Amino acid sequence: MFFCFFLRLPDDTVSAVKVNPQAFFGFCSGHVPLLRALSSRAGEISDADVQRFIQAHATPDQELPKTTWQRLLEYQILVPSEPGSSFYLLADPVGRLLTYLFDEANPATPEMIGGYIASLEALSRKLGRALEEENVTVVELSFREINDTLRRIYGDLDETHHCILQEVARFKTTQRQVSVRDKFRRIVHWMERFVEPMIDIVRADGPMRSSFEDIGQLLRRAREQALFNDHPALDRNLRYLRLVRKHALRVFEQCRKEIQPLYESLRRSSFIAEGAALALQRLMSEGAANWGTEPLIGIHQVRIQNVPSDQAIALALRRLTEHPPEPAPRLLIDDSLEVPPAMLRRQWLDSLPERAAPELPIVDLLEWLQDRHPNKGTQELLAGFTALLFHEDFEGEFQEGATKNYATADGQLEGSPLRLIRMSS
Amino acid sequence: MNAIELPHLKEIFDRLRRGTHLSPEDEPLFSALASRAQDYIDYFAPLGLKLVRHDREFFYFEPDYADKVPDTLPKIAVFSYILIDHAANQGTPVEEFVMGQNFLMSKLPHFSLDRYVTLLRQVDVEDLSDIKLLLGHMDRIGWIRWEGDEEFRFLRPFHRVFSKCLELAQRAPAIPTTLATETTSPV
Repeated sequence: MFFCFFLRLPDDTVSAVKVNPQAFFGFCSGHVPLLRALSSRAGEISDADVQRFIQAHATPDQELPKTTWQRLLEYQILVPSEPGSSFYLLADPVGRLLTYLFDEANPATPEMIGGYIASLEALSRKLGRALEEENVTVVELSFREINDTLRRIYGDLDETHHCILQEVARFKTTQRQVSVRDKFRRIVHWMERFVEPMIDIVRADGPMRSSFEDIGQLLRRAREQALFNDHPALDRNLRYLRLVRKHALRVFEQCRKEIQPLYESLRRSSFIAEGAALALQRLMSEGAANWGTEPLIGIHQVRIQNVPSDQAIALALRRLTEHPPEPAPRLLIDDSLEVPPAMLRRQWLDSLPERAAPELPIVDLLEWLQDRHPNKGTQELLAGFTALLFHEDFEGEFQEGATKNYATADGQLEGSPLRLIRMSS
Repeated sequence: MNAIELPHLKEIFDRLRRGTHLSPEDEPLFSALASRAQDYIDYFAPLGLKLVRHDREFFYFEPDYADKVPDTLPKIAVFSYILIDHAANQGTPVEEFVMGQNFLMSKLPHFSLDRYVTLLRQVDVEDLSDIKLLLGHMDRIGWIRWEGDEEFRFLRPFHRVFSKCLELAQRAPAIPTTLATETTSPV
């Protein structure tokens, strides 16, 4: 059964409560692990994933998974990402509540703080006009809104500080293997996204200070004009203004101090890794011969060259004088000797292209060789065949059809005829 | 400057001229150098030898190999870069990984990936025996110290490799370098 009751809000309006708080918290108390799992998932969750979470965190004494699923929707813990979608989001108010309960934190973005400051500036203008018009109601309302905004800034600053501390601790303690370069990218993201822009906002000459000073002046004016008579509250607000600004400065200075050493260390490591990777990449792509000296780490080596000592000169002279004379080598040149067979073979092979060229195309190269050199053995014929086939001016193509037999001086070859033609350009 | 006044001059020169780096592991030479660094620098300068005192507190002669690069240099470089590449993938800061532990030769990552093996082959390092020779050379130049038959640790002069990596990275415009908080150069 669903109960609908009413809650009295501070501005005396009455609003319907859409979820029974007792039932909601009763369900939550029985499903803490499930809620934690859901809150740890960022972004959309498919209904299949939700079912898996329910199964994974079910206990024997709990209700059926189907019932859990219905309760999640009924209590609006999960809401469809769009009407009719099978993807769900953890409802924003529930997410915030869980974040608070699990002592987790979300960092305030510079846009959020910038938005608060813009809101304070608008309130400041409104308050200024109300003071001129002596409109007590608007002064009072503006005063409350300023107070609320300051409290939100203070809370968000605290949460950001907490969040950054958690992130730094995670970096230092995580066992997950993440490369140095990836860690560096993450820490750079934190620095660039949260810390640096925020310091720009809260620093001494930043927009926060001028906005806060304007409001401080207006609050003092309100007191002087007696338009806001709750003086203790007014003093509290003035004190709060000072406190928030001081707190903001302190929080972001602390955040920077937390992140900076990690950032510097990872930055240096990332650069070192980058340099080594570049050197190895260059070696891989260009080879050792073209690697050059740039990636090398030079080591000193002294090459000492001395004037020859008397002892060395004496030794050299002694070797010279004591060296037995040898007759100069003589070349044996005799016309009667036969030309070496290897030379004859080389000459024959070298002459073949010149002989073959006028007869191109040669329909059957092996037959052509066999006809002209019937006394050559198999080895010689094949050497000639190879010399012509792989000559830079010729190319060959095997002919289709039946194989042929070629008789050589010392054997027989069988193969498809090869047609030798001039190399096409 | 009277050379006789410089303690251990002969021994210091003898070590430095062979390419050795003198770090706190090399006492009493290191202390002699550290206490009168400028005197030694001035003494060696007219001889054409530039004595360098590294930021990380070790000494070496500035190399000059315009004519010929010794074969061992590319081997040492590839060995070192592979170790750094491996360290970066472990997620811990590279210097902490390299300088903060002892290494067993058989547990080195150099033959764990085909890519590393291919890179080592490019410089004729084929197996562990080649690595051992290489480490022997690194021991002689004061970059490592053996702690057993196959256990060793890197010494301070290995920071020259890190400096070289930073130098190489600085020439490549791949990493963001324009953060507002940056006050130091990467090198």
